[in-house]
Amino acid sequence: MRIVLSILLFISTSLCVHAQQYDLLIKNGHVIDPKNKIDTKMDVAITEGKISKVAKDIPATHSKKVVDATGLLVTPGFIDMHTHVFVGSKPDIFADGIYSVSPDDFSFKSGVTTVVDAGTSGWRNFPTFKSNVIDKSQTRILAFLNIAGSGMIGNPDQEDVNDMNAQMTALSVQKYSDIIVGIKIGHYEGKDWAPFDRALEAGNMANVPMLVECHLPHYSLEDQLNKMRPGDIITHSFEKITERESVVDDQGKVRPFVLEAKKKGVLFDVGHGGFGFWFSEAMPSLQQGLAPNTFGSDLHRFSMNSGMKNMLNIMSKYLNMGMEVPDVIQHATWNAAQSLKRNDLGSLTEGSVADIAVISILTGNYGFIDAGGNKINGTRKFESELTIRAGKIVWDLNGLSAKNFKGN
Amino acid sequence: MKKLQLNKLLLTTLAVCLIIFCSGSVYAQEIDLLLKGGHVIDPRNQINSKMDVAITNGKIYQVAPNISPQKAKTVVDVTGYYVTPGLIDMHVHAFQGNAPDAYIANGFTSLSPDGFTFRAGVTTVVDAGSSGWRNFRDFKKQTIDRSQTRILALLNIVGTGMASRFEEQDNNDMNPQQTAYMINRLFPEILVGIKSAHYWGDFTQVDRAVEAGKLANVPVMVDFGEHNPTNSIEDLFMKHLRPGDMFTHTFAYGPANRETVVDENLKVKPFVFEAQKRGIIFDVGHGGGAFSWRQAIPAIQQGFLPNVISTDLHTDSMNGGMKDLCNVMSKFLTMGMSLQDVIIRTTVNPANAINKPQYGNLSVGTEADVAVLNLRKGDFGFMDIRKTKLKGTQKLEAELTVRAGKIVWDLNGISAPAWETELQKK
Repeated sequence: MRIVLSILLFISTSLCVHAQQYDLLIKNGHVIDPKNKIDTKMDVAITEGKISKVAKDIPATHSKKVVDATGLLVTPGFIDMHTHVFVGSKPDIFADGIYSVSPDDFSFKSGVTTVVDAGTSGWRNFPTFKSNVIDKSQTRILAFLNIAGSGMIGNPDQEDVNDMNAQMTALSVQKYSDIIVGIKIGHYEGKDWAPFDRALEAGNMANVPMLVECHLPHYSLEDQLNKMRPGDIITHSFEKITERESVVDDQGKVRPFVLEAKKKGVLFDVGHGGFGFWFSEAMPSLQQGLAPNTFGSDLHRFSMNSGMKNMLNIMSKYLNMGMEVPDVIQHATWNAAQSLKRNDLGSLTEGSVADIAVISILTGNYGFIDAGGNKINGTRKFESELTIRAGKIVWDLNGLSAKNFKGN
Repeated sequence: MKKLQLNKLLLTTLAVCLIIFCSGSVYAQEIDLLLKGGHVIDPRNQINSKMDVAITNGKIYQVAPNISPQKAKTVVDVTGYYVTPGLIDMHVHAFQGNAPDAYIANGFTSLSPDGFTFRAGVTTVVDAGSSGWRNFRDFKKQTIDRSQTRILALLNIVGTGMASRFEEQDNNDMNPQQTAYMINRLFPEILVGIKSAHYWGDFTQVDRAVEAGKLANVPVMVDFGEHNPTNSIEDLFMKHLRPGDMFTHTFAYGPANRETVVDENLKVKPFVFEAQKRGIIFDVGHGGGAFSWRQAIPAIQQGFLPNVISTDLHTDSMNGGMKDLCNVMSKFLTMGMSLQDVIIRTTVNPANAINKPQYGNLSVGTEADVAVLNLRKGDFGFMDIRKTKLKGTQKLEAELTVRAGKIVWDLNGISAPAWETELQKK
């Protein structure tokens, strides 16, 4: 009898080992994977940090660990197109300074698995950024390299045109091509177009997009958009501040040249930040066909506790402004990946890295604030339940992946 | 000429009217910010009822039922929410920096507090010994002086603070006199005690910390890891620490590294009650590895409650079972502690423990640090550090946080005007 039992046990154990081909299985969630046109209930299996299968009814017995995501959305991990994460101890600046923030402090709790730094570093200090932050963070960090050699080191140093070197910038992009995704121009208060042109030149040399940020008071919006190439990105799209013309005119109409630029292929990022998002711009824009391509948060010390909060909150704003859930997810994932020319990211394609967001949609009474301190009310809000980065659970709000406590 | 005089007259009249109008409104609107309709829990002042809280010039101006909204420049309706003193997190690591190979002191394991505090209703944090007397001034310069959160600190008995686990063993760098001087002579407003932590040896480090504590007349907080074999916590409580000294990571379960407060039969050790009676302060210090249900639940059930609820916030705890102070507080609610008892342990108790009675209350005239908390209802889960979960039905969430009279967090824009209304005004 004992022998029979042992044999049975042996067989079943070996069967189990053979059967448990997956490390982690997320079952019963509603998968939204825009790249692969999936918007239905499916299971997602992960092995060795990669997506190994997305299908209906994958048996729970095939996985070492199972998470029940009934009632939740399962999507690719979000990509935040616009952050400032070159954090360091220098006072009063962004580059290696305290105005930047640590990405891990904010990313996973809002479903974000990749952040893109918006030119906080330039070619001179990118290696410091890499060793101090990028290599030490769990969040995947990609970066736009500032055309200013030392990035955002404050005025007047960051405006030194002599330190805007297209060639060195392009060479750095090539050297760190797995991290650097483009060139950034911003924070130049002169009238000279040399900084802008050099950023374009570097972009052409390295064949990467340009990100046009803020604080370029003497460049008209129309001139900026005219100079931009298809695939270049303008951020702070919906800001209403004196130093940049707004995309919407006084009559609430999106300016024709803005729509032309969109048609040409210029990409519009939110870049919410502390001052970059106004309902008075964003609402008419959305209604008139100027939806943002991506939901960059412009996360930094001065936006984190404002109306911005985190990228998931921006996504909730668009949800309550009328954008459909699958659209919101697409802007936060596949759109962002494509605009970064990183088609390996932003989807649940089998074989790709397992960066996943598991999201709930809360219903209730919520409010959302813009940069002007104005509010819209809403009835739905995204909350990040579980975040997976390269197959590892890095955030679990309610212990979805945990065993119940049994008393000891 | 005539027209000019008429204009002059008109202008004068207007100016007079303006002055009358302005002074009238100044007189009437003596309150800058009025939080109306909330349920106030202010343990120091024995308030636990529906009241309004008025703030003027960054200070608490009045706490009373039915304060007239006409007296206030800004009124925020906080009906349905709890209004408490800004929470105090007794145990964080905020000395963030990028010194090469640094651990917590000027290192990447510490974090910048403002991104975690206000969104959890916290307005004051106490850094638990990240720095020592050799590097505290760097900490002050780069973090304390530049944060919106009020940062107080326990000074590590080790001169270089938590530079690394290895440096923390250096007996020759545990100088009670220098530590006490820095607290008393240099920074008495910020430095509120002494930390002893991560020591591999006998009682030497604790004894040095207590010696410094006596010299400076401040409490000592002890993280009593990582002795192998473990040292007796009964000896620690009864022979080495003074009443008022603090024991942190109370509900840690790692019997090989530190003796536990609850034994293997899930009974609270009798001397633990004795120690609390003697005046030892028990701090939660949840962290990434120091909170287990198998310690906390039996303790609460058997009547051993921590004196202070805190996070041990750092990069290895922030995304784990800990998350933030509201989440840790919610765990205690889920274990059956009352909201009032939870608030006591995050306001008046920590303030008393560090001899800063001016914080953690809503007394008239004190700096207006206020938390407006929502007690969410629903199905929630709470993980301990061993990734086992306790299910609960309520969870605290910070709706609005006020620091020195200024709104520094507003989750749902309860203080903001509606956009449509603004548009109509145009």
